[in-house]
Amino acid sequence: MKFRHFVKTIPMKLYIIVAAVLLFAFFSNDFGLVDIQKTAVILAAGIDRSGEDFRLTAQLAVPKGSDRTTGGTSSVEIKTEGKTVSDCITQIFTDTGWVPKLVFCNLIVLGEEAAKEDTISYLNYFLRNEYMPDSCLLAVCEGTAEKLITSQSAIDDASSLAIAKLFSDAAEKSGYVMPNTLKDFAIGYYGVSKSSYLPYLRTMPQDGAQTPSSGTQPSPQEEEQQKIYTAKHTALFSEGRMTALLSPEETLAFSLLKGKVSAGTFNAEAEGKPVTLTLLEDEGKISLQKDPTKAKLSVSVMVRFCCSGTTAPIEEISSDEVTKETLKSAEEVLKGYLSSMWEKATEGGCDLLGLRKSLYRSSLKKYAEYKNMLPHAVTPQIEVNVASMK
Amino acid sequence: MKQITGDLKKSVDALKKLLPAEDILTFPFSSEGGIAFTCVFADPVTDKELLGEQVVRPLSRYTGAATSSEVKKHIVSPEVRTGTELRTLADEVLAGNPVLLFEGMDEALILGTKKVFVRAIAEPSTDVTVRGPREGFIEDLKINTSLIRRRFKTEELMIETSEVGRRSKTAVALCYLEGTAKRDVIEEVKGRLEEIDVDIIPDSSYLTHFLSSRPFSLVKQVGTTEKPDIFCAKLAEGRVGLIVDGSPIALTLPYLLTEDFQSSEDYFVSAYRATFTRLLRLFALLVAIYLPAFYVAAQLFRLQLFPIKLLLTIAGAIRDIPFSPSLEMLLVLLVLEVLNEASIRMPKYVGMALSVVGALVLGETAVSAGFVSTPAIIIIAFSGIGLYAVPNLIEQTGVLRLAMLLVAGSVGTYGIVLLTGFVLFYLVTCENFGTPLVAPFSPIVGHDLKDSILKYNYGSLKTRPKTLKSPNRRRQK
Amino acid sequence: MKLSRRQIYLFLACVAPIGKLVVLPTELVREAKNDLLLPVAIHFLVQAAVIFCVLLLGRRERGLYEILEGTFGRVFAKICMVTLSLFLLLAGLVPLIEQQLFVQGVFYDTLPSVIAYAPFFVFAAYLASKPLAHMGRVWDILAPLFAVGLLGILLLSVGSADYAALLPIGASGTGFLKSTLSASVWFFDAPLLLLLLGKFEYREGMAWKGALCYLGGGLAVLFFLATFYGIFEETAINQIFAFSKTAKYFSGITVLGRIDYIFVYALALVLAFYTVLPAQCAIDGVVQAFGSPRHLQTILSAGIFLGYFVLSLVFDYSFFALLKFMTKALVYLFPVFATLIPALLLTLGRQP
Repeated sequence: MKFRHFVKTIPMKLYIIVAAVLLFAFFSNDFGLVDIQKTAVILAAGIDRSGEDFRLTAQLAVPKGSDRTTGGTSSVEIKTEGKTVSDCITQIFTDTGWVPKLVFCNLIVLGEEAAKEDTISYLNYFLRNEYMPDSCLLAVCEGTAEKLITSQSAIDDASSLAIAKLFSDAAEKSGYVMPNTLKDFAIGYYGVSKSSYLPYLRTMPQDGAQTPSSGTQPSPQEEEQQKIYTAKHTALFSEGRMTALLSPEETLAFSLLKGKVSAGTFNAEAEGKPVTLTLLEDEGKISLQKDPTKAKLSVSVMVRFCCSGTTAPIEEISSDEVTKETLKSAEEVLKGYLSSMWEKATEGGCDLLGLRKSLYRSSLKKYAEYKNMLPHAVTPQIEVNVASMK
Repeated sequence: MKQITGDLKKSVDALKKLLPAEDILTFPFSSEGGIAFTCVFADPVTDKELLGEQVVRPLSRYTGAATSSEVKKHIVSPEVRTGTELRTLADEVLAGNPVLLFEGMDEALILGTKKVFVRAIAEPSTDVTVRGPREGFIEDLKINTSLIRRRFKTEELMIETSEVGRRSKTAVALCYLEGTAKRDVIEEVKGRLEEIDVDIIPDSSYLTHFLSSRPFSLVKQVGTTEKPDIFCAKLAEGRVGLIVDGSPIALTLPYLLTEDFQSSEDYFVSAYRATFTRLLRLFALLVAIYLPAFYVAAQLFRLQLFPIKLLLTIAGAIRDIPFSPSLEMLLVLLVLEVLNEASIRMPKYVGMALSVVGALVLGETAVSAGFVSTPAIIIIAFSGIGLYAVPNLIEQTGVLRLAMLLVAGSVGTYGIVLLTGFVLFYLVTCENFGTPLVAPFSPIVGHDLKDSILKYNYGSLKTRPKTLKSPNRRRQK
Repeated sequence: MKLSRRQIYLFLACVAPIGKLVVLPTELVREAKNDLLLPVAIHFLVQAAVIFCVLLLGRRERGLYEILEGTFGRVFAKICMVTLSLFLLLAGLVPLIEQQLFVQGVFYDTLPSVIAYAPFFVFAAYLASKPLAHMGRVWDILAPLFAVGLLGILLLSVGSADYAALLPIGASGTGFLKSTLSASVWFFDAPLLLLLLGKFEYREGMAWKGALCYLGGGLAVLFFLATFYGIFEETAINQIFAFSKTAKYFSGITVLGRIDYIFVYALALVLAFYTVLPAQCAIDGVVQAFGSPRHLQTILSAGIFLGYFVLSLVFDYSFFALLKFMTKALVYLFPVFATLIPALLLTLGRQP
């Protein structure tokens, strides 16, 4: 009888035990976990080489107190050095007492020197980390990442937030910036092309003057000056190493081939005078011929007249149509950009256009035969078709 | 059982022995013909004016024979019955029905001159509608049944009254539509009512305990309504209803969880609007239960649930709060519950002041003093409002919200998922009167989904809900 | 409480596939690379055929134990039931530990203490102490949750996928065959269904409808796998907990936060119930064989999940060693128990 009663009341006893354990956990609030009040939210990380070591500059978001009603994001930069990136991240905790969390890290910037070695050898820390989103933006910068991350932005509270604006969808449509994410960079690296690209960041003083070249030391006044950022150049990578740098025009050509442009502008000539044309629609295609040493790069764009360097009567201003002569000039300009982009990529050993990948996907046999010849042995056939809005 | 005899004095004495209370009075009088009568009645619950008007005055002029059939003819009341057993007569007296005894007869007359204290029929405060009937049940069984009878002019409406409660002998009316309600359910309800052995039934809510298959469960298993139109609609769907004397809340069986997401107004507005509002109630309820829990779990265990801007705002707001996020939320929730409880119980004129105190003093000052953060108050405010979107489930959802908060604060988001799974399993395996609580979602009854959280046009609802297994399925051609 | 045919279909179409969306996609990529769809397609086809056979057995309207007892006698039937139960307990170990890792990775920002997963065992022990047929009603609710969850994730993911990454077919060489063998560890739905025999009423056409439902669920899994590989390509091998990963590249996420977690959590709920199922079936097998002495089910369920809890502590940091052991050493058990035996049962004599 007693045993039966005991068994019958087991569920109730279990409920009480579970409730007691839950309450204990609730009030003790200690699972060894890191809550919001102990967390350093890393917004961006910059990675530089410092001799044999790595130097990591982390931009941490600092919450404003409840009395602040102005909004915005305050940030603070923490610099650490270590043998590995992981080492540097751990040091943030030992130096500040805050537990660094990468879940909101939306930007990783590589310093120029760090980008010249096998980047995946240190970026793999982020790829392995389950708590780090591989959708975060990745970029290379002129000089050191530390300088870029610690610079004061003229357009946002934190430099990382200002830089992230450069990589927006709208900016990408202009054709002058080619953002990339950690995941896509890794896919390029581990894929058959072993190539990838990253936007190349530069800082400029707010007044528009160029930053002093990396060789000369900036004065303290220049250091404190608010900066704006550009990412018109694109760094090319082969086997994880930065091997070439595309100019803004070449970046545009690359964007056009990717078919991503729908709001950019470029300059052509009309009657010997410069004119600016607006890109409305873009279709780019890269195809390998039956003979894989020949590739066809074709770009078809729709443009409209934007601005010319001459005074024009009002009737002309009201028309968006582009003359045949200008269209021809535009075609030549774009061909030039494409050709130059191809040369730079080939020289850098970067299979930027993924020819190896295309060949691999279309024929394993041909891939085995030609993989070592791509892309340097490929003769490109460049076709540009510029049409005007009527 | 003791019976009355023809000896008036002995009978009155026997009855008074059974009813020794001081408020049980006797009124002896004689007719012109010389017959001695004694009326035994309970003073507080007998309408003496009616008794004088309908019984004493006509009988004092009576000159006929001393037989109950003759005497009965001279009483001008529509409700006169006869009784012989002393116990029955005593129960009738206690129920407010005076007993008339007279010399030479071994039978007494039971007179229906009960004094009825009733408040006016008014709109129930718990179920207010903009469109549709505004009548609500009151505490009187007869008036409540009359409100139902008025809506069903059919012989199929059955109202079977029984008494429940050893001492209270509360009248309980079992209402159903013959041929529409499932016979098994009717019999089971009758059976369970008969099995009840309890002192008193002061309110219908006492019955729910005896009518539930899992009486200790937090989950509601009996439907409730204060409105006769809803009650009748439920009877028409094939349910069985119970009205308890002294309670304005009627019970309906079998109960489905979806009922509480429905309002009578849904049937008076367009189907689109009704569907939207039902979905809105469901959403509000889910927000009420889950929002505080997710807010706490996100802060403690999974920051990524917040967009970065929101995270920083929250981080800024809680920076100087001395409590952990879970304790802070529990504190605010308890304060809300206390305010809620106090504002319900307090006199109305104080209630107004209390809401000012609650809103301004406790809210604003607590934030300024850094005891709690603004986001926590906003979260609890949202949750509090959401809870009232489904007022009939407040008891259950309030507890569930607290439980969710506890698991969120101790186990995190996975605790919320697991508790949801536990509640889900419990709900889907819950049955009462052979009807699954979560039907028509589990088990899925496609036909009944037309009037569940969704609401189809009335033209599509030609048959009664399958779940209720009504023997007469068709309700419109 | 009996299971309805609809509940069986919903289980096959919407609950059984969930176990294939966590670690399996990554494990497939290890050997099969871009051919990851082939092993899964093969398994779904084979299991669908076996499910067809098992459901045909349902025509006899008797439980598995009764069928075995009728043919082989009481003692052998008991041995068979215990063996099958042991197999299910073993098969249930991988989903259990992979869910543990999934919980640690997806529900927390930092690696939590192993104890954080302990409440699952309380939940599981509670579920397993209840009759198996109760699960039918749960599947009624889980099916739409699975459909909405997976559809939501796919909708947010397809835009980021490059389906051409699945080309060229056959690039893995014999890798897909190795992958097919190791993936057997995740395909034991037919034996689960065996334990449900006698708990539902067979109706003409149920067998092929059930098989089709299973294939329908399989198609959804294949589409997900294609999307998964289309998004991650060569890095897919690094992306465990697949269904929580694919939707995060949706552009709205940056503004709204991880809205994809609404769908991930819905699927996590389905996964929680699915993970308990092998043990539930195993317990039911024992109860079928030995009758149901008072509280046997509760005691068994508490004991089994206590054991599982201990194993989860042991394997928390060596899941991949366990997986390797299962996919290399014990993998041959799966074709036998999950395919051969259920299919052969159909050939057993109809009457005792």
